[in-house]
Amino acid sequence: MIRGKRAGKFASGIASLALGFSAAAVAQGLDQANLLKPGPDSWPLYHGDYTGQRHSALKQITPQNVGNLTLAWAFQTGQQATLKASPLLIDGVLYFTVPDHVWAVDARSGHQLWHYTYPANKGLHIGQRGVGAYKGWIYFLSPDGHLISLDAKTGKEHWNVEVADVAKGYWTTMSPFIVKEHLIIGVSGDFDNLHGYLKSLDPETGKEQWHWDSTPKDRTGGMTWMTGTYDPDLNLIYWGTGNPTPVLNGKTRPGDNPGTCSIIALNPDTGTQVWAFQVSPHDTHDWDAAESPILVDGTFKGQPRKMLMQASRNGYFVVLDRTNGKSLLTVPYSPVNWSLGLDKDGRPIPNPEKEPAPDGRLIAPDENGAGNYRSASFDPKTGLFVASAREAYSIYFSKPADGDYGWAGADYGVWSKGVIKAIDYQTGKIRWEHEIGDSATAGVLTTDSGVTFTGDFHGNALALSTVDGKTLWHSNTGSIISTSPTSYELDGRQYVLIGSGGVMFAWALPETAVAKR
Amino acid sequence: MRRKILLFGALTGVLLVGRAFFPREVEGQSVATTAATQKLSPEQSAHIEAGNTSFQQKCAFCHGRDAGGGETGPDLTRSKLVLEDVNGNKIGDVVKNGRAGRMPPFDIAGPELENLVAFIHSQAQKAAMSGKRKGVDISDLQTGNLDAGKKYFEGAGGCSKCHSATGDLAHIATKYEGLQLMERMLYPRGAKSKATVTTASGEKLTGVVEYQDEFVLGIIPEDGRYRSWPVSKIKYTIDAPHQAHVEQFSKYTDDDIHNLMAYLQTLR
Repeated sequence: MIRGKRAGKFASGIASLALGFSAAAVAQGLDQANLLKPGPDSWPLYHGDYTGQRHSALKQITPQNVGNLTLAWAFQTGQQATLKASPLLIDGVLYFTVPDHVWAVDARSGHQLWHYTYPANKGLHIGQRGVGAYKGWIYFLSPDGHLISLDAKTGKEHWNVEVADVAKGYWTTMSPFIVKEHLIIGVSGDFDNLHGYLKSLDPETGKEQWHWDSTPKDRTGGMTWMTGTYDPDLNLIYWGTGNPTPVLNGKTRPGDNPGTCSIIALNPDTGTQVWAFQVSPHDTHDWDAAESPILVDGTFKGQPRKMLMQASRNGYFVVLDRTNGKSLLTVPYSPVNWSLGLDKDGRPIPNPEKEPAPDGRLIAPDENGAGNYRSASFDPKTGLFVASAREAYSIYFSKPADGDYGWAGADYGVWSKGVIKAIDYQTGKIRWEHEIGDSATAGVLTTDSGVTFTGDFHGNALALSTVDGKTLWHSNTGSIISTSPTSYELDGRQYVLIGSGGVMFAWALPETAVAKR
Repeated sequence: MRRKILLFGALTGVLLVGRAFFPREVEGQSVATTAATQKLSPEQSAHIEAGNTSFQQKCAFCHGRDAGGGETGPDLTRSKLVLEDVNGNKIGDVVKNGRAGRMPPFDIAGPELENLVAFIHSQAQKAAMSGKRKGVDISDLQTGNLDAGKKYFEGAGGCSKCHSATGDLAHIATKYEGLQLMERMLYPRGAKSKATVTTASGEKLTGVVEYQDEFVLGIIPEDGRYRSWPVSKIKYTIDAPHQAHVEQFSKYTDDDIHNLMAYLQTLR
């Protein structure tokens, strides 16, 4: 819990002491105990907590009153880049990003405390998913592969280390992941035949602790561009890896291409791989399995299980036993036409006839996939896994002249549709669907009161009923929403944050209504 | 291959800037071989290199680092629009305004835009000179069987329920060819739905759907004046015949698609 740790505020200092926190913890900022049990007034990790469930315990905003939701504040970045970050909230301050920029903003008012700008560089500026935080430091990955440690109070640079070589074709976008004394980062880059990897660094100094490569030395691909999850009891981190390279030409890389399009379990202290489950063996369609690996403890077919769930880019929803990586369920949640069924281990079997070809192959889903960067959410009460899904068809081409480097082919989306889908994790059956337009870009947040926050493809922020998917509230943000919603409570008022275009919107119930509670 | 673009500034000694120096035909046809090769001035090389930097930051994710196509964005080195562009007169519009639902607009103007255009043209010319026929050529899409395609069109495919080879599709192969014809055959992107609306006062209007989300319906009736309503206040029906293409996706085999292509290409 970070409740009551607002530096310099005497009253809250007393409150935190009364709740049993030491003065030392207040001075040090975020530590491992905070990360293990984040309080309602914090969002200290990309997914809010280590499970990746993106389920908020907050209940002030309910299905009954969400219709009264109003704008608490909005923050304009003034940048043309689209917000894709999940803001971290620590000690009443929000930290969020677009490529080359970090802001620290008052979570109550939207007032800017500081703005850090990274120098112009040649890295790919496709997106920035947010910072990591530990003790008094904020960690930011630049488009050109540098990891920068900033002072959370001032935004001043503490240190800067290179973690990926932009000249080779890498770039970095993800929110650095803190586990104990490890600062773990992943990389992007599939326009070149490169090795995907994870690195762990000392959060104080930036010194490398371990390095893990996704693929064997003679193979490439398996980028690690989304933030993972962590099970402290098993002491395992879980990470999704990207496609093999060359991307669309699979002929030069026969076999499954292990380590790519996979969910990987690693020991965070050593970087040793404990197990791997390949969601797309021998991928030839760019279907990264980088979507959030969500950790759920519950029953599966009557047995208590430690599970991991993912709505993957290739159109399959998978449930694994996260102690050993064995499949419990693999089932499509969106149209899929590229597989010949499942193998004995529950992995889809790719149909060789559906590899990209000179005259084109009709493939579902398209390269953007059924799932992608936008986060899904797990609602423990209903047992629903709520995913912002795409249904899509495309044509894939590859011919010898396209070569065996980088993309090595071409693909064209033909049609797509966005649908919020509530998946029953026990069966994979879709309990409800909510159509959101021609595609899907926004992530999902569920709350304990039974509200699901997300967005449609017209720029509407949406509140849906988690039980049946019916619309409870909406507000058009004026731009496509490419973020996943987050929520926190400060001074007894619950806020919901949704970044859209270059604006961060904070919604809450009217102050008068909150005061009356 | 793709790595080389990062070194591009150092390698551009014999490359060319701008279509003005290098007239060529559109997609699928050969490059004019009579054009003289012009050596680049240091200034031109600097423009291209600066354009390369902007391109890597803002365009490369979708269009590939060498502009040869990547995630979601088409190959610019073979783009008809790029080949027809003169000094940014066409590229500039797309960059500034984007493409509805496909590409966002970018706030790039002045020297930055000029540099970007120079880079795209230099990549297009580099691709043309490399001799490798990357991407999708018309010749790649000739694997189908004409008779089987005609049969599918008139029978199992159900195409003739809405379309006619002598009516709406007459001469279709002279309007579209190659990949573009194939894409439009699979789904006519941009096809507009029609709505018939009965308002609370009983007024009945029919028009092209301009906007529709789950809350508001906006149409443009024949008089051209946009009208919109909260959907809860009206009764309406939507007529979207192109939806039949979506229902066809799960029924097609790849052979059906290639055969259908063979048939449509005869409708000249």
